Amino acid sequence: MTAGPTSGPTSEVVLPAVPGLGGLYGRGVVASARSAVAGGARATSRGLPDVAYVVHDVHADADHLTAYQHLLHEPGTDALPAGYVHVLAFPVAMALMVRPDFPLPLLGMVHLANRVEQRRPLALGDRLAVRAWSQDLRPHRSGTQVDLVTEVRAEGEVAWRGVSTYLAKGVRLPDAPRDETPRPDFTPPVRTGCWELPADVGRRYAAVSGDRNPIHLSPVTARALGFERAIAHGMYTASRALADVGAARGDAFVWSVEFAAPVLLPATPDVRVAPDGDGHAFTVWHPRSGRLHLSGQVIPVP
Amino acid sequence: MATRKPSTSPATPTTAPALPRTAYVLGGNRIPFARAGGRYAQASNQDMLTAALDGLVARYGLQGETIGEVAAGAVLKHSRDFNLTREAVLGSTLAATTPAYDVQQACATGLETVVSLSNKIRLGQLESAIAGGVDTTSDAPIAVSDRLRRVLLDLSHAKTPQQRLKAVARLRPKDLAPATPRTSEPRTHLSMGEHQALTTAQWGITREAQDEVALRSHQRLAAAYDAGFFDDLVTPYRGLTRDANLRADTSLEKLAQLKPTFGLGLDTPATMTAGNSTPLTDGASTVLLGSAEWAAAHDLTPLAAVVDAEAGAVDFVHGIDGLLMAPVFAVPRLLARHGLRLEDLDYVEIHEAFASTVLTTLAAWESAEFGRERLGLDGAFGTVDPARLNVHGSSLAAGHPFAATGGRIVATMAKELHARRAAQVAAGDDSPVRALVSVCAAGGLGLTALLEAA
Repeated sequence: MTAGPTSGPTSEVVLPAVPGLGGLYGRGVVASARSAVAGGARATSRGLPDVAYVVHDVHADADHLTAYQHLLHEPGTDALPAGYVHVLAFPVAMALMVRPDFPLPLLGMVHLANRVEQRRPLALGDRLAVRAWSQDLRPHRSGTQVDLVTEVRAEGEVAWRGVSTYLAKGVRLPDAPRDETPRPDFTPPVRTGCWELPADVGRRYAAVSGDRNPIHLSPVTARALGFERAIAHGMYTASRALADVGAARGDAFVWSVEFAAPVLLPATPDVRVAPDGDGHAFTVWHPRSGRLHLSGQVIPVP
Repeated sequence: MATRKPSTSPATPTTAPALPRTAYVLGGNRIPFARAGGRYAQASNQDMLTAALDGLVARYGLQGETIGEVAAGAVLKHSRDFNLTREAVLGSTLAATTPAYDVQQACATGLETVVSLSNKIRLGQLESAIAGGVDTTSDAPIAVSDRLRRVLLDLSHAKTPQQRLKAVARLRPKDLAPATPRTSEPRTHLSMGEHQALTTAQWGITREAQDEVALRSHQRLAAAYDAGFFDDLVTPYRGLTRDANLRADTSLEKLAQLKPTFGLGLDTPATMTAGNSTPLTDGASTVLLGSAEWAAAHDLTPLAAVVDAEAGAVDFVHGIDGLLMAPVFAVPRLLARHGLRLEDLDYVEIHEAFASTVLTTLAAWESAEFGRERLGLDGAFGTVDPARLNVHGSSLAAGHPFAATGGRIVATMAKELHARRAAQVAAGDDSPVRALVSVCAAGGLGLTALLEAA
């Protein structure tokens, strides 16, 4: 059992290991098809499953960490980048999303925002415990959104806490008011650099993260799901921005990101990563159209 | 206690010079710089460095001599050239007993070899040294892709046929595409020109001002060649007698016709062209350094002392400062250590990576706000009289084979300083004659040095 105070649902299911995402997508496709037949474009229920999934004794593998660090341009130290901890832990949250009683279809879900609080750095060799649950099912201007919360503990203390906000497009909660908040305007700032994202960067991040959502893998699989070309994983782009902030992020920080227009691959988006208040802000946009891809902050926690 | 007679400790022989002592530039030699794909297209880094070394050896009669140490480097260097400088020494007419080492600090490589070897001389570790640098963009190393490299390495580590098959099976056709060296910054993926375009826009440097810097560089380099100034500094190579990039007949009108090449995506008009940016170039340079004693023993005249140096770096990754602005911060620290102001310098050499690099450097030094807020001064750092700046032209005209530029500037300046001082002394003026050398480099680096006429 995990020590220390816990949050989220009271009931727990302990999984023997972190589930593989490939299998989860397979089940997600089935579940999404089933919910489409049963409920059309409506959430199957108002409620989220009142359960947390727990996996004990999760740890990083050195070669896997190296592959992640090289792909994300992180220094090759034994410290686990906050985005790498997400890769380790998030499949536990994904397992919740393929439960038959999860009210939103997994396939086609859009990653809207992500917020990670790293309270202390984690390193290769740390034994980690992961606890994940879903919360805060709520309307969005183009559907329904939900938060997936993942907590990672080392020696009983929460060292890392991630909240991933997903949108089920076109799915409406019964009787829910619409969120009509308009999209904010965006004017590109002065760039500090750009990213050169090759066509296969989605496949490469899929190989490292296990997130083999077809929209990231190839133009053909992406087109099948309504995208013109393969799109970069949101967490790949957010993690590149975190790497660009570099050592200035410190040991304890909050790393938050909001995703806007997807990055169609291959791409050379313009980037600004610069000091902002106590921490750093980052912005990524399309150089010609000026469309915002993502923006966020890395703020140190005292 | 018994009284002891003062005696000389055996650890400090009376013959040892007082340290630190002065290190002098005694001379220099380079080959003319060629445009990429030009006369030196088939020459390797080792070929050109050896040619420049042999020219120096011939000029100063050092055949068969064991020099204290030779340090040189190349920015674009093949992994097989791990001992480039030592190999060049072995191929040269210097004694095979001359030690050597390689240095790499991007475009500051050449100046860093001068600084580090001078320091060894100052500390008494060396009596003589040769600093140098070389670069070829025509014969640049081409590597295999990371995936092919990984497969080849795993293949060489494989012990069983199964492991070998498994390694080879990972190969995809596109992995066979070669990886060519790039001039873009690894962390920002912007080329040096795109970075400088941001700095140019930030400081509001005009196209006209940049073209004027370029024109002056060509005119001054051409005048120096015409006056025979480089006769004892440059050895012809592969049929080239002058820097191939030099356009003695260029004009503001011709420069104004060139289309901008950098900063095209900015809100402000693009101002940087092929005419006011340095071209990719091949070439090599060397500088002979030594102690006063060694110079006297070899009947050589010290030209200038390498007084001091200061390196700097800026955080361009997070947009705090422009990529090539590190010298803006290093020079005030260097001069403060010697109680000098910019106005006290007789010569200022600012490497012309781009015409606008020179102009943004000067603009920052002339800004009272920048002086107060970034340099911690009471106001502006100072101004540089154009008559003292890059007096014999610089990289815009000569070209810029990355690691060879420091040696070109130091040898040119040492000769100029010595001549100026001799003229002054002849006129009864014994005041010191000083030059500042400032070189910006990739990675937000900068290296600056202070020379004083001997």
